[in-house]
Amino acid sequence: MATTTTDHTIDAHDDHEHHPSTRTYWLTFLALLILTAVEVAWSYLGLSGVALVVPLLAMMVVKFLIVGGVFMHLQTDMKVLNGYWFTLVFGTATVLAVGVYLIVFAAFRFDI
Amino acid sequence: MIDQQSVEPFFDIPFTSLSSFILLMSSLTMVLAHKSVSEGNYKNLRIWLSATLLLGGTFMAGQVYEFTVFYREGLTYNGSLFGTAFYTLTGFHGAHVTGGLIMLGSLIFLSFKGKMQKDRAETVELVGLYWHFVDIVWVLIFTIVYLIP
Repeated sequence: MATTTTDHTIDAHDDHEHHPSTRTYWLTFLALLILTAVEVAWSYLGLSGVALVVPLLAMMVVKFLIVGGVFMHLQTDMKVLNGYWFTLVFGTATVLAVGVYLIVFAAFRFDI
Repeated sequence: MIDQQSVEPFFDIPFTSLSSFILLMSSLTMVLAHKSVSEGNYKNLRIWLSATLLLGGTFMAGQVYEFTVFYREGLTYNGSLFGTAFYTLTGFHGAHVTGGLIMLGSLIFLSFKGKMQKDRAETVELVGLYWHFVDIVWVLIFTIVYLIP
């Protein structure tokens, strides 16, 4: 029983150690806020095609990774994120997904 | 027939941007709620959970308002492919937010009952993960549906 309690204490301690600080959470929120403002401003610049879409998609991906990495603790909780195979598979899937989206977009936009 | 080109003029980007800001803010209050329960600060836990509930509820109210405006402007579910896609996508997201609000309400209730102690921090974390997932999906919807023509 004593062992269980000790383990529990260690787990809680580790959990606390690995999670970001309150300051990091506020800075993350600030970064998300700024990125959203830039996204909206970018959509008002009157750009079209690749000049409009690619930066918006890039900012969207950055926001996605920030929320997942910091708020969902994936950056610190999942050691697998640092693994070679995970990076390879995740990277390939991301490139494929973005590539397919851009090709379909180009097909509609430029009547290919 | 209403398609995306004709619906874009009545997309209220400043209003939807404010909704996005509110949802992002709720993710911050959610992690602060988890941090509070991990540290055994139950008063702050209730404050941050209530703030998350309030922000999520405000987001949903904005969603309902937006749906009402679009419907009055003539964008119906069956009227066009864009209408079907738009209401299905944002409607499913709204349903998930509503699910999250129910979970948040339950956590606040349990906290007032004294059943949400430090040893149950993982429960708050799991609800938090769900809430951030809802937030992350909105990050995609906001850019792809609203900002990209």
